[in-house]
Amino acid sequence: VSVNFGLAQLSNHFLICTVLLYSLALLAYAGDFAFGRHPSQGEVPAAEVPELVAAGVPVASVPVTSVGAGPGSAAAGSESARSESAGPGSGSGSAGSGPGATGRAPRLPAAVVQGGRSRGSWLPTGSWVRAALALNMLGLAAHVIGVTTRGLAVHRVPWGDMYEFVTSVTCVAVIFFLALMIRYRAYYLGLFVMAPILLALGLAETVIYTPAGQIAVALQSYWLAIHVTAMTLATGTFVVGAALAVVYLLADRYARRVAAGRQSASVGAFRLLPAPEVIDRFAYRTVMFAFPIWTFGIMAGAIWADTAWGRYWGWDPTETWAFITWVVYACFLHARATAGWRGRRAAYIQLVGFGCLLFNLLGVSIFITGLHSYAGLS
Amino acid sequence: MRTALVLLFLLAVASVPGSVLPQQGIDPQSVQQYYVSHPSLAPLLARLSLFNVFAAPWFAAIYLLLFLSLAGCVVPRTFRLARSARALPPPAPRNLARLPQSARHETGLAPGDALDAAAAVLAARRFRLRTGDGWLSAEKGYRREVGNLLFHLALLGILGAVALGGLFGYKADRLLVAGSSFANTVTALDEFHPGRAVSAADLQPFSIALDRFTASYIPSGTLRGQPSAFDAYIRYSAGPGSPARPYDLRVNHPLNVDGVKVFLIGHGYAPVFKVTDGTGRVVFDQAVPFIAVQQSGLTSEGVVKVPDARPDQLGFAGVFLPTAVDAGGQLESIFPAAENPRVSLVAYAGNLGMNSGPSQSVYQLDTAGLRRLPISPRPLAPGQSMKLPDGAGTLTFTGYQPWVSLAITYDPGTLPVLLAGVAVLLGLLLSFFVRRRRMFVRAYPGADGTTVVDVAGLVRSDAGGGFEEEFDGLAEALRSAHDGYDVTAPAPSGTDSSSRTDTEGE
Repeated sequence: VSVNFGLAQLSNHFLICTVLLYSLALLAYAGDFAFGRHPSQGEVPAAEVPELVAAGVPVASVPVTSVGAGPGSAAAGSESARSESAGPGSGSGSAGSGPGATGRAPRLPAAVVQGGRSRGSWLPTGSWVRAALALNMLGLAAHVIGVTTRGLAVHRVPWGDMYEFVTSVTCVAVIFFLALMIRYRAYYLGLFVMAPILLALGLAETVIYTPAGQIAVALQSYWLAIHVTAMTLATGTFVVGAALAVVYLLADRYARRVAAGRQSASVGAFRLLPAPEVIDRFAYRTVMFAFPIWTFGIMAGAIWADTAWGRYWGWDPTETWAFITWVVYACFLHARATAGWRGRRAAYIQLVGFGCLLFNLLGVSIFITGLHSYAGLS
Repeated sequence: MRTALVLLFLLAVASVPGSVLPQQGIDPQSVQQYYVSHPSLAPLLARLSLFNVFAAPWFAAIYLLLFLSLAGCVVPRTFRLARSARALPPPAPRNLARLPQSARHETGLAPGDALDAAAAVLAARRFRLRTGDGWLSAEKGYRREVGNLLFHLALLGILGAVALGGLFGYKADRLLVAGSSFANTVTALDEFHPGRAVSAADLQPFSIALDRFTASYIPSGTLRGQPSAFDAYIRYSAGPGSPARPYDLRVNHPLNVDGVKVFLIGHGYAPVFKVTDGTGRVVFDQAVPFIAVQQSGLTSEGVVKVPDARPDQLGFAGVFLPTAVDAGGQLESIFPAAENPRVSLVAYAGNLGMNSGPSQSVYQLDTAGLRRLPISPRPLAPGQSMKLPDGAGTLTFTGYQPWVSLAITYDPGTLPVLLAGVAVLLGLLLSFFVRRRRMFVRAYPGADGTTVVDVAGLVRSDAGGGFEEEFDGLAEALRSAHDGYDVTAPAPSGTDSSSRTDTEGE
């Protein structure tokens, strides 16, 4: 079956559009930091908090009495044990007592603090961040169309070479990240997570662009759709996890500097980030989501290897590094779950795991020859 | 637990050299090249088993210790799980409002009835219940620990299944020229790597004949010369006397015969030579497999040994070019299909050294006892001949045949590994997404004849998150179970609540 060059061209145009839209979104995220009106820490408009609670934010220390409850529950909400702070920095759930009710979400909406789902309006307040989100979603639409048309052009799943793989992985990463950001209303993460994704996509478009074409005989199997799809999903999610780990380290450093009095809490871009523990939890859950998919991907690859090469595992360099990546992420999960490693040490392990993944993707594909040398790079 | 983590990490680090250095089991030729290019370093690395990392004693030590530590952790936990299978949840704490998740509502039901209604709600959601005076505690999510154990046990299972395959399985290779056949016996195989418990008599007695092989290549465009399909049309029979069946052997489409899998892993050209020696006898007429040394044009190298030639034995070394073009006085192949095949050979005469000394490779010529014949190599087209000087004889390039290389593997551990792998994944998902959680309910008389119901929730492991939502739902379900008897808050009259309690009277 021949390549449909019209569709391939269309895919290229959409992906260039994607890069442009993401760049604009990034500018808008940055603009929000620079020009958006943000209440400084400590003077969060507490008026927001009860609204969030009333909207049904399930918060550990905030009572559920108010969830979908009638007027009777509001009275119960004032009981002392239950009106613990809905968000660090905000005084308490006491309604309408905060100064400067600017109409912006507080630095730490209760939903973000607790990592719970907000059932309130998901739209952010503030025109910069709204513009950023709109551009980001528009970019994602172009991204999805770009990846899809590429697949239609070559009559197979569009992750057969390195260029296609990177465009798909970044697409998965953006989908996952947007879902996370909107669900937890963590809009201030946008700048930090979209920047590396945009960088990767930009490099894909410029450095490793490969025209649409047929793939190697060894790849012509329905296992391509299973194995590489799983690897694409997992990698895209791990990208978000790694970006969150970096953001965590920055936010944690900032928080410690503030605590030590070496940094004012009211300046610096990091002041707008969610609390470090919240980012840490996002990162953990992201890895938890990706790890089973990665495990499945390795297993699907083993089954494919068994039909293609006659053994399910042969310590091919790519297999070895997929295994190393699995082990390091398993260490990360294990350390968090049993040894109680949180915070920086856990973030470092996660970044080591992501480093292994990147090395497998780039280093092994380019510098080491093995059975997985399909990158299409010369 | 720490030990297991350290060993796990060590295992990852130990695998690194296996991907960076060439490995004997995967690419023995690269190992030899490494010896040539690093003559002083290579023996040292070899002593540390760094060319065979995944079979090295120290690598085995790490994973055996890891699995030992795993077993040491899993076995006691299994017993604990078995004991806790019948254990009841702990009593409800006194002050439920202090728990991370708590809620309160009021009802017109009497405390005992309210608890009964709550028990019914929680039992319907398959909570394990325990009741006491004025309280109820419930627990759910034991499958999480089951999943966790399943994950670790399945990892042990993978190791066992791999060992099973290593003991009773075997791997073999065979190069097969079109028009020829072989039977699955040790002598007929080019390479044979049996498991420790495999003997020659254990080989499944099938035979395979290669009728035809076709390779298709992309003829133009940027991907010109890339293969698009390989088809080896074979006939196989499961044993002596069994009928021969045709099969189209392709990449990703192996043959499964008697539990053994046969894979198409390579292909090439075998030029056919006819050699007449100095006495005028035809002493050689067969296809000689040449091995590709360059992929894009499948330029292949090989040697021809003619031990029966007289007065001197003859040997030839040279290249086969599928699509030869003249590139500045030098011939090279620009396309993998045989569109303009040429052979170019250097001729030798003398003693091939095949009757003495160590066994020789069929792909190498031992030139120690040979002299090069004074004839300059000239590319031969099919049908063309090369007359050797001094009346040593004549070589004719009569044509060519394709050959395929087949990998033959038998691994009885494959299915167990797959099952264990599925169990790993299942265990992982259970332990990630099932949370072990407790619900507590206390009901006691309130100020004005109503009953106050305190509900609290405690999650023991909620890595995946989401207990908050579940607790909301449960608290809501409990509240609505008590609803209808509700006395309007905040200042209930309390008059009709008791009558409603009577009517329900559950």
